[in-house]
Amino acid sequence: MSGKSTIYAFLGVGLLTTLLFVVMPVIFSISLSFYRMESFVGVPEWVGLQNYVSVLSDFEFWRALASGTIYAVLSIVLQLVLGIGLALILNQSFVGRGLVRGVSILPYLLPTVIVVLTFKWMVDGSVGIITELLDSFGLPDVRWFETPSAAMMSNVLVSVWMWTPFVTTCFLAGLQTVPDSLYEAARVDGTNAWQRFIHVTLPMLKPILTVVILLRGIWMFNKFDVIWLMTKGGPLGSTENLAVMSYRRAFAQFDVGGGAAVATLSFLILSFAIFLYFRAFPLETD
Amino acid sequence: MAEIELRSVVKKYGALTVVHDFNLKIEDGEFVVFLGPSGCGKSTTLRMIAGLEDISGGTVRIGNRDVTHLEPKDRNIAMVFQNYALYPHKTIYENMAFGLRLAKLPKQEIEKRVAEAAKMLDLQELLGRKPKQLSGGQMQRVALGRALVRNPDVFLLDEPLSNLDAKLRVRMREEIAALHQRIGTSMIYVTHDQVEAMTMADRIVIMKGGVVQQVGAPLRVYDKPANVFVASFIGSPEMNLFEGRVGGSDAVVQEMRIPLGRNPRLTDGVEITVGFRPEHVQVGEGDLKFTVNLVEQLGVQTLCSGTCNGLFMRIMIERRDDLKKGDVLSFAIPEGKLHLFDKSTGSRIDQADK
Repeated sequence: MSGKSTIYAFLGVGLLTTLLFVVMPVIFSISLSFYRMESFVGVPEWVGLQNYVSVLSDFEFWRALASGTIYAVLSIVLQLVLGIGLALILNQSFVGRGLVRGVSILPYLLPTVIVVLTFKWMVDGSVGIITELLDSFGLPDVRWFETPSAAMMSNVLVSVWMWTPFVTTCFLAGLQTVPDSLYEAARVDGTNAWQRFIHVTLPMLKPILTVVILLRGIWMFNKFDVIWLMTKGGPLGSTENLAVMSYRRAFAQFDVGGGAAVATLSFLILSFAIFLYFRAFPLETD
Repeated sequence: MAEIELRSVVKKYGALTVVHDFNLKIEDGEFVVFLGPSGCGKSTTLRMIAGLEDISGGTVRIGNRDVTHLEPKDRNIAMVFQNYALYPHKTIYENMAFGLRLAKLPKQEIEKRVAEAAKMLDLQELLGRKPKQLSGGQMQRVALGRALVRNPDVFLLDEPLSNLDAKLRVRMREEIAALHQRIGTSMIYVTHDQVEAMTMADRIVIMKGGVVQQVGAPLRVYDKPANVFVASFIGSPEMNLFEGRVGGSDAVVQEMRIPLGRNPRLTDGVEITVGFRPEHVQVGEGDLKFTVNLVEQLGVQTLCSGTCNGLFMRIMIERRDDLKKGDVLSFAIPEGKLHLFDKSTGSRIDQADK
């Protein structure tokens, strides 16, 4: 094969896959949002923007948007703070560093359902280890899923537990690219450890940080599995985000068009947020 | 401005000692070069003076202060790194001003100092740029400028020219030497390049395996290398060195006999290492016969490698256009240009013509 046809062959596979598994479902889903449809069998009925009107005038949509945003922001901030802190610790030299680095990534490698089940067992009212521990310290029981704020915190907690290692790994990789001489120059300049973090580490890792926040932002905003497995959006819909709402409308309430409208709106909101994000933090190019 | 004194300074990593009992007093305003092959401990010693490495034993004094256990910022030193170590996200101005800001100097004073340094190093046009918009030579000048604005007691330069190309290196060498003359602050300069050491230093400290081999002015080190290592390390092309013994009034190396002249009163049969520099042979005199194998034209001079009595050596003579492989030249080594070393210890055997 000549150079050109090789390029087209490789591009073709990628384009075809993207077309089949990304572009077409998106278009299909967007088009569904203009129809009334009660299931995937039967004939959809064109209703124009009526699904959007109904969704946007539904307070559940705004609640899900707010709750999903709170969930995403809280869990990203905590993941970043903990992830960066862990990366800084794991970048020091100490005995058994390799082992600790290996173990620290474990939560990220586990399937979500395992992590969620483990968490549920740990806080189980009769046999959970956390319940036991709280008991033995004489602390009151925590009702992990019963109030809206407790359920939200539980979701955030599990998400932070699972995805902090991703931030740690990215940051740790970045830290190893910062030349030691920059830290030494900063020491000669008279910085303390905190100033070195602010003036050397953070600016050097800004490109990584930009990408990590973006990726985590997309993933947390669209998060379905953790919330569904933990709370199913409850209690009383208080932890439901747009992904869960879209699913619930389409598959539990048999309003496929409404579900598709929620998904489409979610897509638009996220796209707009990413647009604003890139305006604020342009990716540096050399 | 201050003297720097290192007393019995030692650096160990666990059981491994990388710098042994280092003693040196650097006078105020002196330009001292630490020279040696990689791994000889020269950079480690510099970094101990800077405070970037812990000192395992001994003391470092700058001026009247014992700085052995002080942080780098409290030693009043400035350092220039091999890879410049400029903050990539800060402008040139901010790079130079950063240390002064941290020291909480008044804004006007910072501006004044940066402006002066920028003028001295011809950086005025670059102050608003970021490091990656600069060439290697410009970045190195900024690194010097950052050191300059601190008004340090001593400049520490760690292989500052290694990342530059050959031509720029020569120019920056001159600029650093000129800067030193102008500001008169002590400088300690680490390099593995003996040409840099010879051309810039007031005194050279030659190191090997963490041990100081010789301390002295460049020509002194060139003329009277303290041992075989220094003899071979200083000078380009390398000194010709042969192991042999004293035989009557000659140094005997296999079949080759080099007259010792009025040199030493050495006992017959003593084992020695004998050396002479390629540039010191006198061609057309004497009884030694050199057979040319390879001719390298350097312009003013001609460098030949070949053999004498089967022993490989190099000689450097004034330009000769006619030499070719197989030619035989007779040569002699003038008195005082022959270096004798104890074969077992490698130390110089001091000679009568001292």
